[in-house]
Amino acid sequence: MPFREINSKMIEATVAPGQKLFSQRGAMLAYRGEVSFTPNIQGGQGGFASMIGRRVTGEATPLMTVEGSGTVMFGHGGHHIQVINLAGDTLYVEADRLLAFDGTLQQGTMFMGSQGGVMGMVRGQVTGQGLFTTTLKGHGAVAVMAHGGVIELPITPGRDVHVDPQAYVAHHGEVRNKLSTAVGWRDMVGRGSGEAFQLELSGNGAVYVQASEEKL
Amino acid sequence: MFRLQGSKTLAVDLTGDGVKAKNGSMVAYDGRMTFKKLSGGGEGLRGMVTRRLTGEQMTVMEVSGQGTCYFADRASEINLVALHGDKLYVEASNLLATDAGLRTGTTFTGLRGGASGNGLFTTTVEGTGQAAIMSDGAAVLLRVTPQYPLMVDPGAYIAHQGNLQQHFQAGVNFRTLMGEGSGEAFQIRFEGDGLVYVQPSERNTVGGDV
Repeated sequence: MPFREINSKMIEATVAPGQKLFSQRGAMLAYRGEVSFTPNIQGGQGGFASMIGRRVTGEATPLMTVEGSGTVMFGHGGHHIQVINLAGDTLYVEADRLLAFDGTLQQGTMFMGSQGGVMGMVRGQVTGQGLFTTTLKGHGAVAVMAHGGVIELPITPGRDVHVDPQAYVAHHGEVRNKLSTAVGWRDMVGRGSGEAFQLELSGNGAVYVQASEEKL
Repeated sequence: MFRLQGSKTLAVDLTGDGVKAKNGSMVAYDGRMTFKKLSGGGEGLRGMVTRRLTGEQMTVMEVSGQGTCYFADRASEINLVALHGDKLYVEASNLLATDAGLRTGTTFTGLRGGASGNGLFTTTVEGTGQAAIMSDGAAVLLRVTPQYPLMVDPGAYIAHQGNLQQHFQAGVNFRTLMGEGSGEAFQIRFEGDGLVYVQPSERNTVGGDV
């Protein structure tokens, strides 16, 4: 795998000729060897149509292409970094949490409404994630940023995991997510426990949760 | 049943029993959980009056159910404290979770509270069980014995337990008044026998400015 964790807030990536790497623009801290950084106007891969798609959906983050041969260190804003290895499955993550990912991964944009219908859209609004999210699919590694440490919780059939929408970072695998509400009369009169909305994840995979309820 | 998942996430395994936690601090759970708001400062009407008067209103929720519940708050470091019938004094903003069997109350701290930027009152946790307290950075645990009193910066103090007397001490001198102070004009002095939790960070306090 091309990513090596130096400490909890820095990673080192190895690039070799013919291998591409995408990273958030400006996230490079240091590099060794002959490495070039090209701003990627398209904000990822997939050609012109995908670029339009990302622009329209607000999932466009300034990315850059990293090529050459050498090692590059990445880090951003003092955030904790979690490296996730994908083996053919799909990772769902917010575009602004992406620090770097393998060029071999297929990038896409998903409409929240397509999973969970209207509730999916409500979910996006409630969690402040908007109506769209970024997907990465294939074999390779992804470096994701989070505020505070990240814990990985496995999801297996019959063992649903509920996550605070603000602490949710990413998930992968065959996972269905829906917004569950536990809004009772106590919330209406302002005596809620602060846990009225939760993401209910079921299926087979894993979810990453950060130790904080702050957005990046 | 309290365990740490990393240094910033608290995992609590519940088997039908309950736990009290800071409002809104749940980040994830599996199994079945219910969340109900409680209020700090003790139970009943007396507790309500106390909260109103002291401003030490930590909003607490009671979590009960079966499964594992994960708590975290603003990426603070979490420290576990085991209580065996003794009393823990902690700033309300630094208390993350306690066993449901522990009693929480409010006590007057005097001048110290005003200088530590936390108000004049502090929260007490009493009984037998576990509590989780938060600190900005990993906290150090300092022992106080009758021979060795301890001085702590009010902004770095988070909690103490045991049989301790605390005094507020000021090192204000001519230089301080001239605006040439060292920034360490006030300290809390602990005497007796017990433990003090200190964080490697300072809250904004009156003392820190002079």
